[in-house]
Amino acid sequence: MSKPAMQLVNLKKTIGNKPIIKGLDFEIKAGEVFGFLGPNGAGKTTTIRMMVGLIDITEGDVLIEGKSIKTDFKGAIRHVGAIVENPEMYPFLSGWKNLKQYARMVDGVTDERIKEVVSLVGLDKAIHEKAGRYSLGMRQRLGIAQALLHGPSILILDEPTNGLDPSGIREIRKYIRNLAEKENVAVIVSSHLLTEIELMCDRIGVIKNGELIAIEEVKTVENEEALKEVYIEVEPMDTAKAYLDNHLDNKIGVGSKELSMSVKREEIPHILKSLMELGVSIYGVRVLQATLEDKFFDLIGENTIE
Amino acid sequence: MSNFLNLIWNEQIKLYARKATWVMFAVLLILAIGGGLITKFFGTESDFKEYGDDWQTELQAENAQLTAEMENDEFGGFMNEMIITENNYHLENNIKPQPYDGWEYVLENSFLTSVISLFTIIVAAGIISNEFKWGTIKLLLIRPISRTKILLSKYVSVLIFAFTLLVFLLASSWLVGAVLFGLNGLNPIVVQDLMPGFVQNDVLGEIVKSYGFGLVTLVMMATFAFMISAIFRSSGMAIGLAIFLMMAGNAIVAFLSQYEWSKYILFANTNLKQYMNGMEPMIPGMSMTFSIIVLAVYFVIFMGAAWAAFTKRDVAGN
Repeated sequence: MSKPAMQLVNLKKTIGNKPIIKGLDFEIKAGEVFGFLGPNGAGKTTTIRMMVGLIDITEGDVLIEGKSIKTDFKGAIRHVGAIVENPEMYPFLSGWKNLKQYARMVDGVTDERIKEVVSLVGLDKAIHEKAGRYSLGMRQRLGIAQALLHGPSILILDEPTNGLDPSGIREIRKYIRNLAEKENVAVIVSSHLLTEIELMCDRIGVIKNGELIAIEEVKTVENEEALKEVYIEVEPMDTAKAYLDNHLDNKIGVGSKELSMSVKREEIPHILKSLMELGVSIYGVRVLQATLEDKFFDLIGENTIE
Repeated sequence: MSNFLNLIWNEQIKLYARKATWVMFAVLLILAIGGGLITKFFGTESDFKEYGDDWQTELQAENAQLTAEMENDEFGGFMNEMIITENNYHLENNIKPQPYDGWEYVLENSFLTSVISLFTIIVAAGIISNEFKWGTIKLLLIRPISRTKILLSKYVSVLIFAFTLLVFLLASSWLVGAVLFGLNGLNPIVVQDLMPGFVQNDVLGEIVKSYGFGLVTLVMMATFAFMISAIFRSSGMAIGLAIFLMMAGNAIVAFLSQYEWSKYILFANTNLKQYMNGMEPMIPGMSMTFSIIVLAVYFVIFMGAAWAAFTKRDVAGN
């Protein structure tokens, strides 16, 4: 793979005597959507604030395109577009004038570029209205537009789907995937919502009490080799159970109408075919996905805030 | 540099996009017009009196009449005495008395610099803390621009705003004055009754001096409010403290003037006018140079504290 877009090196934050972030080490590659997952209070926002230089780094460093946010703030931050927590805007300025504010702070953002970004986030119609009258969803879009203005190679979005309705969430998800795939932007999305992260990310880092407890490729959840819980509604159950007991290593569970078993995905059609050949009627098959959610709860256990 | 100008431009846009800013200009205009109308319709008659070519004779006649009045009325004599002294000053120095005019009105309105101070304090107090209140500080500080530059652009913007208010006050006072009272030429001589006695000066110089002295308090208090805003990130506190100190400053100094160290208090030094025209300073042993040094030290402390608070501290929890 290419060199990382962003690198966290033993990143620590201590406030008073209390360690908030206890040494994070990971990297985010160009063109990937990285999910930053953790319960509330785990240190997601603190980490993000360190990534963009809003708060001091106690120990360690954040390297953005190889440049340290500590020692070369300007060199590092120019590659970053971000929303930190809520997308707050000047309520008395129009969406357009809000964007102009940020456009004036970097070189080379033309009005054409602003228009391009505005239509990318679908705000063309409302862009000249005052931002104070925007709905949360519109502010979220304006926030993304603001982060994209200068064509950053790293986009950091803190809880980007907060307050959006389902169709808004879908759209944001589409933009994010698009940016990563077409523009090779590295996107970091933080969330405490698993399903969200699961749907848009390539990789997920799970943080708990200021420590990274796992980094997972989202695809591994779909691993062909993993065992799945399969429920089959059959009749007669005895015949089916007798057959399965003979042919599968794992124990067969018996429910009121269903038999349950742990098998690999590739075995499922095989089992069904054999059962049908035996003359067993199959009324339904359910595959219980070993979801990220299960993994997440396995990993973080109870949501304790130290 | 273009970058810095852009930052200032941004600040000005944010300032003038809000109604409160326009209200400040409206208040100044109303004060300028209102003051003019009050002077015009309730002013002392003698101020507007026009004298002919033989003004010496007219003044002598006036003095004689006033003296006669004083003999009849032993209580109404104070005003008359003042007018006689002024008339005598004109006679002795051979200055023809001029009727009250627009220039003099502009000069009198220099007291309104305290209103400008008040407005500037409000703006200085909000320019940093509002970004925290709106949450926009996070978006402002993640640009490839140093915090020092952002802080400086905000400070310069406050000064530009104060200067704009000042120009606006001068222009509207001059216009109101010119319309209501007319003008005695381009730069007429004014005779002022100052503590040690009457003095004559050209009016433009006097205007520059009295507005200039007003600016000292303005800049110091605005810088103070700016510092409080940067440290506490709360505009209410900055406005409250700065205005309280501006109002109570003289009282504080008077209260503490028995102590030697009271001359180091900021407010003992903001009124540089105390050294003009041979007046006695507030506390013995002070001089213009002394005050300027004290002011400079305070200024450096205020800016240093604002800078340290703004550039060093974490932006969290907003």
